[in-house]
Amino acid sequence: MVDGLQGNLIMSKSEYNITVNGETKSVVITEDKPLLYVIRDDFNLTGTKLGCGLEQCGSCAVLVDGNKVLSCNRPAVEFVDKEITTIEGIAKNDVLNEIQQSFKKFNAAQCGYCTSGIIVSLTDLFNKKKSPDRKEIIDNLSGQLCRCGSHASVLKAVNNLIEKRKMNG
Amino acid sequence: MVNTIKLNTGASVKDYNKVSDWLSFETPDKILISSGKVDIGQHISTTLALISSRELEVDINSITVKKLNTDETPNEGITASSLSVPNSGTAIRSASIIFKKSFLDYASKSLNLNKNNLKLDNGVVKDPDSNASMSYWDFSKTDEFLKLTIPENIEIFDQTNIDHDLHVETKFINSIVKGEYKFLHDLKFDDMLHARIIRPPSYSHKFLSIDDKVNKYLSDHNLEIYIKNSFVAVLGVDEYEVIKSLNLLKNSIKWEQINKLAKDEIFNLIDQNEKDSLLVKRGGEAFNENIPDLKTYDNNHKTITTEFNKPYLMHGSIGPSASCSIYKNGKFEIYSHSQAIYALKSILSNAFNLEENYITLHFMPGAGCYGHNGADDVTYEAALLSKEFENKHVLLKWTREDENCWEPYGSASKNKLSATLDENNRIIYWSSEAYSDTYLTRPMVGKLENFVSYRFLNNDFKKYKASPRTGAHMGIHRNLDPIYNFKETRLVKNLVHDLPLRTSALRTLGAFANTTATETFMDELSIEVNIDPFEFRINHLDDDRAIDLLNDLKTQMDKDKPLDDSYRGIAFSRYKNSASYCAVGVELIVTDNVEVELKRAWITVDAGEIAFKEGIEAQVEGGFIQAASWSLYEQVNFDNNEILSKDWDNYKIIEFDNIPSIKTSVINRVGYPYLGVGEAVAGPTGASISNAIRRALGERIKTMPFNQESIKKQLLG
Repeated sequence: MVDGLQGNLIMSKSEYNITVNGETKSVVITEDKPLLYVIRDDFNLTGTKLGCGLEQCGSCAVLVDGNKVLSCNRPAVEFVDKEITTIEGIAKNDVLNEIQQSFKKFNAAQCGYCTSGIIVSLTDLFNKKKSPDRKEIIDNLSGQLCRCGSHASVLKAVNNLIEKRKMNG
Repeated sequence: MVNTIKLNTGASVKDYNKVSDWLSFETPDKILISSGKVDIGQHISTTLALISSRELEVDINSITVKKLNTDETPNEGITASSLSVPNSGTAIRSASIIFKKSFLDYASKSLNLNKNNLKLDNGVVKDPDSNASMSYWDFSKTDEFLKLTIPENIEIFDQTNIDHDLHVETKFINSIVKGEYKFLHDLKFDDMLHARIIRPPSYSHKFLSIDDKVNKYLSDHNLEIYIKNSFVAVLGVDEYEVIKSLNLLKNSIKWEQINKLAKDEIFNLIDQNEKDSLLVKRGGEAFNENIPDLKTYDNNHKTITTEFNKPYLMHGSIGPSASCSIYKNGKFEIYSHSQAIYALKSILSNAFNLEENYITLHFMPGAGCYGHNGADDVTYEAALLSKEFENKHVLLKWTREDENCWEPYGSASKNKLSATLDENNRIIYWSSEAYSDTYLTRPMVGKLENFVSYRFLNNDFKKYKASPRTGAHMGIHRNLDPIYNFKETRLVKNLVHDLPLRTSALRTLGAFANTTATETFMDELSIEVNIDPFEFRINHLDDDRAIDLLNDLKTQMDKDKPLDDSYRGIAFSRYKNSASYCAVGVELIVTDNVEVELKRAWITVDAGEIAFKEGIEAQVEGGFIQAASWSLYEQVNFDNNEILSKDWDNYKIIEFDNIPSIKTSVINRVGYPYLGVGEAVAGPTGASISNAIRRALGERIKTMPFNQESIKKQLLG
């Protein structure tokens, strides 16, 4: 952030290769431009949301090499040569992932603004753990804020997924 | 056996009494329904489509809800006050019933078939002999369709055979989980400018000057600044450049503080400040009459008093308010996520001195709003900027700090109660006084000062005095009139003036505080006379639906054995004494460290005839979680100079770690009118949590939030 009039205020733009959902684009950006704006502006993917710009609400969660990262503040240049996956890239060949399917089954969203971040966050967890326990789920969802109160339906969808995985062995 | 029931077709039909106002059949196999109620996450689109699909006997997926705009969809007023299903739902149900009946009459005549032998299959009837057919879509092209009107009352067939437990996928869930659902924030136009407002430190800071050096920065970064009196905005093509400039611009402006924000602690101000006091009578209306003194009784009667304090609460939408507007050829085209797009059309006409037919507002989703948040303000601001930057779309988004500090809050409030019991432990006298700032500063024609930017655009820093509203269950006195059959009541509404923060409609208005106050006091009285809290309430009720509700909640709770070290609390109300009935039970633990852990919750709701069961469950469970958040965590903090709750670190809300398991029981009242359900659960939630904490601690905590710091402070006195 620019706090005063002193110093070099004009930040030059450079070209960087960023890969989102398997597509690599050469983007011309300043080195401080957060990943979120590159995803939304340069890749035209608007499923990742700006909620606070302070890494406090989780709406901007994406996966970077399979790990959850909040994209609203960290410069995109940190993620050159990384595999970034947004909510739009989570479904493979138009087949929803298990979490998306379970969210559908339980209508686990109200206004839906926070839902992308929550699904991305849970995707990180369920990719790594077959049957996460309550603590792991709560830890994963810590910082994923929802104001409509969709939490109960989200937890039902999560529990249903765990049950389904258990049944399928 | 199929019974017929008489249905009043409702308030919205008075203005839009043609079937074609609500239903259209322009695309083959698709039915378009129109509503003036906006979908703000409450699943109204799904509910309306489901209602229509049942009456028309078509698949819900063949029904689409028309996108709202002020030129084409019916003006049903503001989407608020739990009236969407009662008004729009009843209108669409009525239109669908009349359409189907008229279609069958017409088809029978046209095909020369006995009406009783017609078989409807997804909107089509066929003559089995000739193979001739007629469809809804054929009928919609006739003059008969255009002539169809909806009377004040119609006969409906009861719908006892509907399986409400069948899963219905909500209208937007597929695009939401894929990240494809478009919010207003996602709009893109080729000519678009992004905009942000540079806010002063508080409501009454006047712009003095800006450092000239910013001009070079702005031109180097292709940014433009707009200054009118104390209103300052920055615009540019690149959204991130606009955002980056905010701190610089903020630090380059000199402001003069005209008034201090707060002179004292809020609950002292509520006691001390000037007020308008009105007498509220049974039925819930307020009157400008003398307030009788509090009655005193002899020592043979038990009299108990209490009070309840609620801090300022914010709507706290997860997505900051946004609006997009273009002013071209003398006309506005505006995208807004306001609950009140129809009212805004008139207000903006007033604000810009432009005839209404030069203004079109399109509703586009924002994040959940829960009342009058920043949506109206940002729409006005975007329109204003677009008029200054003609022929370009201006997409204005509030920042997180804007959203937290500049929205109109739910007012801080105080309730003072007193009750007297006779020798049979019956309440014979009930006094309840509510003290609060206004819950109604929605913008209106002639009241442009209700827009937060008005004061800065006009350097008008005076405080406008609100007037008390008198209608039944308006604002401060919503649910002040208890549902119980107390012999004598003294109900007083106090509109307190000159309180520090901007306030308006937050979900339930005064009902959250009033119901919490009433239902915590009922619990306190039941403890005092050592009667079971269910029984004590039922002893004071004549309303059978309320009694059924409490009995159902008790049955649900009794099925689950209490957890070790846990405490339970219950509460209930009928929202506005006219909308849904809702009872809540909670089970919680207060840890040794005085932290409240919610374990389980049971909710019973009676919303009349069920329209969409999963929708009702989502609304009450979501409302429970939001009200639990208000109760346990929330409080807008401020000092003499500014609001301090600028972000989520400084305004804590509930998270996944304190969500109890929730069981919801929905009572179906077949043939009864739909009752709005979005707000019914909040008051009972606050009260049931307070009541469980009371039983855990042995002492009543009278001031929210019930967090560790606040409880410890109150326990220490």
